Amino acid sequence: MPGNRMTRRQFVRRSMGSLAGAALASAAAQEASAAPVRGGTLTIARPVDATSLDLFTDSSAPASWVYGLIYEPLVTLDPSMRVGPGLASSWRVLSPTTIRFTLRKGVKFHDGTPCDAAAIKFNFDRTFDPKKPGIWASFAGPVKGLQVVDDSTVDVVATEPFAPLLLNMSMVHGGMVSPAAVRKYGADFGRHPVGTGPFKFEEWQPRDHITLSRNDDYWGEKPPLDRIVFKVIPDDSARMIALRTGEADMVLVPLVDQLPALRRDPNYTVAGTVGTRVVFLSLTLTQPPMDDVRVRRAIIMATDRKSIQANLVQSAGTLADSVITPTTFGYAPMHLESRYPYDPKAARALLAAAGYRPGAGGALERGGSPLVLSMIGSRGRYPKDAEIAQAFQAQMHDLGVRVDLQLPEYPVVINALRTPTLNVHVLFSAYGNLTGDADFTLVNCFESDQVPPAGWNTFRYINPAYDKLVKAARVSLNAAERKQLYAQAQDVLARDVPAVPFYNMDNIAVMRSYVKGFVPHPVEYDLRVAQVWLQK
Amino acid sequence: MTRFLVRRAAAAIPIMLGVVFIVMGTMDVIPGDPAAMMLGQGATQDMVTRLRAELGLDRPLAVRYVEYLGRLLRGDLGHSIVDGRPVSEEIRQAWTATLELGAAALVLTVVVGVTAGAFAAHWRDSVFDGASRVLALVGLSMPVFWTGIVFILVFSLELRWLPSGGRGAWPHLVLPAVTLAIPSAATIARVTRSAMLGVLHEDYVRTAYAKGAHDAAVLFRHALRNAIIPVVTVLGLQLGQLLGGAILTETVFSWPGVGRLLVQAISSRDYILVEGGVLLLAATFVVTNLAVDVAYAYLDPRVVYR
Repeated sequence: MPGNRMTRRQFVRRSMGSLAGAALASAAAQEASAAPVRGGTLTIARPVDATSLDLFTDSSAPASWVYGLIYEPLVTLDPSMRVGPGLASSWRVLSPTTIRFTLRKGVKFHDGTPCDAAAIKFNFDRTFDPKKPGIWASFAGPVKGLQVVDDSTVDVVATEPFAPLLLNMSMVHGGMVSPAAVRKYGADFGRHPVGTGPFKFEEWQPRDHITLSRNDDYWGEKPPLDRIVFKVIPDDSARMIALRTGEADMVLVPLVDQLPALRRDPNYTVAGTVGTRVVFLSLTLTQPPMDDVRVRRAIIMATDRKSIQANLVQSAGTLADSVITPTTFGYAPMHLESRYPYDPKAARALLAAAGYRPGAGGALERGGSPLVLSMIGSRGRYPKDAEIAQAFQAQMHDLGVRVDLQLPEYPVVINALRTPTLNVHVLFSAYGNLTGDADFTLVNCFESDQVPPAGWNTFRYINPAYDKLVKAARVSLNAAERKQLYAQAQDVLARDVPAVPFYNMDNIAVMRSYVKGFVPHPVEYDLRVAQVWLQK
Repeated sequence: MTRFLVRRAAAAIPIMLGVVFIVMGTMDVIPGDPAAMMLGQGATQDMVTRLRAELGLDRPLAVRYVEYLGRLLRGDLGHSIVDGRPVSEEIRQAWTATLELGAAALVLTVVVGVTAGAFAAHWRDSVFDGASRVLALVGLSMPVFWTGIVFILVFSLELRWLPSGGRGAWPHLVLPAVTLAIPSAATIARVTRSAMLGVLHEDYVRTAYAKGAHDAAVLFRHALRNAIIPVVTVLGLQLGQLLGGAILTETVFSWPGVGRLLVQAISSRDYILVEGGVLLLAATFVVTNLAVDVAYAYLDPRVVYR
């Protein structure tokens, strides 16, 4: 259906439009004509504090939202997911394993030391130290390291052909820190972060607030704001109240239930975009009867995904039609609505074909034993996670399948996700694509050799044909070819149903309407507030 | 007295040892691997194993326990396994915040609770007595997270009198301190009332009245001084309540105290930080109970320590 296809940028634009509504569109038009106002402090409330502002240690969103303003990577990823210049003004792909970056000249860290090839080299050596790698090394791909060509030219080298290499260099977590500051502060560098970015670190009161101030010597477009304060307000209601009292100008991770009312209120702006995280059910294929594709298809057909999105998820996300989101490179819709429409009758027929017949009380059974599925889910980790798990349980009950649902504390869920021998049929899970490239999810979650504990193939999905597709896509440098391979890979997954996708999580920020110039970013670790201004 | 203090302080040592052991054991058996939590979703098993070894998590509990005690003897609470910073420093910052909140709540508890209880007993079965008893019941029944949100809605959002959260100038302290004090003040009011009722019929009270002393003088100098012993005992226990309630209050009012530090440390399985925090809470509890015992002697000359 080529008529229904849209490019990612179209999708981003459309989804942003539908989220924010026409009011925002006209506001944006006004903003375009109004020049940014200099000065002022933007106070941002979020539920959790960072543990460290050293990207070597802390890759969490609450930390990267802050240090994304302090550190800058070689290249940047704009909200329409295009790679643009960062600390490198240009780049050239030399070979399937090497990219040459030309560094911007004269860039200085906040402590006055130069950000030259040697400093970049220091950062790569620090992160990709095989003895004690930084946290970015765990998701940057097969990066071997960095070679200095001259004072303003460096080569990033991968150990094997790796198509998403450039995209990975744009991640917030790949920002450059000041070597002099790392040497000076040692283990305390996380409390004294020094980078090249538009904002400088000023103060941190743990669990209370972090203050950043404008970098007057910034090499690029200087920020309009004087200061940005990141406040921690753990209680959801209290966080929303702080926005209304004016103690916060912007709230991250807002209460989803309050969004419709805030959208109608002209005092507030709700900005959101489709993120790169999909929330789904992971079916354990090694756990009978999940090895039978008829059972998996019956499960997805008896799950009213549309109703769950409309009634539970609501504006927290959009109905997912793949295991990656439309903002991710390589996305192709699985057409799950036409492939597996919600149809409990057809689901029952599929289960009957698999040998399950209604026994006493309507419960399905085979050979005298009832069909019972064990399930683990999280509570409060993702919007409406526990509610969705319970809705799924109820819908399976209507089908005649008993689901024994457990909703333990999140660390227990993470343990289950990582365990090599999983004896649970269904996991309520989610996967965030950190790079914006299909490779990240389609390899880490579904390739044969990524079964835990090695990776995140919690499905225990083993399919050599699939492996071949994603491997070919990883080494190809032809974007069109890669897209086609990923479309095929997603088609294979759609046929085999290892996952039941629920929704694409939106990245949503609510702010007072005088906060202007904010553009939400699909990557949830990327908070673009450097060019925000206050039109009071 | 000195001997008593030394004996009690010595008795606190096995308590603290037990606390450390229980906390370490609990952190060990609850599921959730700190290394896996820290590395997040990109990590391979290889990296998790390496980090576990680096953090020393692969060694048996007993070894870690003895090592921890050794460090403790040197006054070293260790380093956070998440960001490598000294635990003592992390805790010191959080602790001052919690103490500030706890002290304010304690003052409110004593002043409001004791006064209300004393007058309720004095005007027994009056409107004041009835009202204070109902209020005490309501105060005891309201969970702090609910009271907190209601206070924020009324005093921050509607009236705009006080900030809704965070730590700063004194107005920031008002709502969290009042929220935290309410259940304790209610308890103290009830205990004070019944203790006062017990002594108001004593001969010495009648004598004081007969000598023409004022109501307030009789109540607070003669009656309360004798009724206060059970109140002080309950107050000592309430202090534990205040510390426990602080975790919720700190969350609602975004107060950067030790309660929130602990919650955060537990969810990231930062066991060294959890141990330090719990140890401090336990020490506070032990010390206040000792203080309560010493206070008896001051309040009641008949109490002698041996």
